[in-house]
Amino acid sequence: MTKPTAHPLTPVPREPGLEELLTAVAAGGEQAFERLYDRLAGPVYGLVLRVLRDPAQAEEVAQEVLVEVWRTAARFDTARGSGLSWVMTMAHRRAVDRVRSAQAAADREHRAGTRSAEVPHDHVVEEVTVRLEGERVRRCLGGLTEVQRQAVTLAFYGGYSYPEVAGLLRVPLGTIKTRMRDGLVRLRDCMGVER
Amino acid sequence: MNPEIHALSGAYALNALGKAEETEFERHLSGCSACSAEVRGLRETAALLALDAAAAPPPDLRARVLAAARHVRQAPPDLTPATRVEQRTGPLPRRARAGGRTGPGKRRPRRSWPVRLALGLTAAATVAAAVLGVVAFDGLRDLERVRETQRELVEVLAAPDARTLRRPVTSGGTATLVVSRERGRLLFAAHGLPVLPEGRVYELWLMGPGGARPAGLLTDDGAGQTLPLLTSPEADDRHLGLTVEPAGGSAQPTTVPLLLTELPGT
Repeated sequence: MTKPTAHPLTPVPREPGLEELLTAVAAGGEQAFERLYDRLAGPVYGLVLRVLRDPAQAEEVAQEVLVEVWRTAARFDTARGSGLSWVMTMAHRRAVDRVRSAQAAADREHRAGTRSAEVPHDHVVEEVTVRLEGERVRRCLGGLTEVQRQAVTLAFYGGYSYPEVAGLLRVPLGTIKTRMRDGLVRLRDCMGVER
Repeated sequence: MNPEIHALSGAYALNALGKAEETEFERHLSGCSACSAEVRGLRETAALLALDAAAAPPPDLRARVLAAARHVRQAPPDLTPATRVEQRTGPLPRRARAGGRTGPGKRRPRRSWPVRLALGLTAAATVAAAVLGVVAFDGLRDLERVRETQRELVEVLAAPDARTLRRPVTSGGTATLVVSRERGRLLFAAHGLPVLPEGRVYELWLMGPGGARPAGLLTDDGAGQTLPLLTSPEADDRHLGLTVEPAGGSAQPTTVPLLLTELPGT
């Protein structure tokens, strides 16, 4: 038999963007969802784990988020932002919701002392683009003032509200609000995020 | 733009506002396009921060997520402009956690709904396609075409008058035909056909009172089977043939048929 030519059933190999994958997932594309999982499970799980610290809870929340991506893919709209931003916002909010619920807060307090031991530092996803983004993120974080950097990272990776961050850093509320915004704006410009 | 409330955009993008302030800020956002644009950019920035935290999930999470998704009905798109504003500023339904509270107007994800008919059909088509030896398809541009093909495959396979024939090919291998006269469709697939020398192809023919007409070239799936080929026999087409032709196919058969079979329903 000959090699496949221009047959209508011949697959065309190509790496679709997250936005395209989401569009296909919205149409019930199970295979597209598998590919989306392979692209996003690492970032989603990693972020949720960073916020929650507890691998068991992180796994549960990551699963909720990824299934929610499947469920609500039709509501993703490229006009409102990138696919990555849509999914990661969802993941972060879920993690933060969990962390702020009373039970989780108690758990977290209980774990505060052992927290560093629980973070699996070796679980770094071996994915080149992710690593490159990570390097850029760290470089840009290094360009912030100390308060900006702490305000942004405590809120984002720590899941703390801005009054909590103000308390942790012993800085007035109004100052923290401004530092969070200034810090993010500076990061945005450093990372070349399109506006 | 109110500078006081506008200063909250950073905390908002980091999900660092309390419930009351968040609601207030979202109300403000819905009427402030400059704020929405800023929040969008800051959220994109936060998404990149998220990449820095990427970690390998437990290996069994994949199977659990895919299995769970299979049993979750997908939500339709939001069409109302009012919801769109809300979606843009806060794309997630916050779920009640531990405390059992649910935000106003937000819905819990509905789980365990029966799988939609459409999904079921797609799954059936996927199974059918797999049985027929369709290779895994990739590429979004092709997705619609693939879904259309699956729909067409199911249409033939599920037709009330569908007849299935299995016929040996004289040079080796077996051909399978599914014919629906009602739908005027014929599905052809074969396995075990000998590999042809470079520059030769297998060509399918439909034969009616007017003689043989080309019905398509077979494509190797790379695993010893052909991709399924759908064709549309006329009501008075009585036979189907398979020959070897020069690459690109011929207008009329030029070699002795390796398969010549009578079509059912004639």
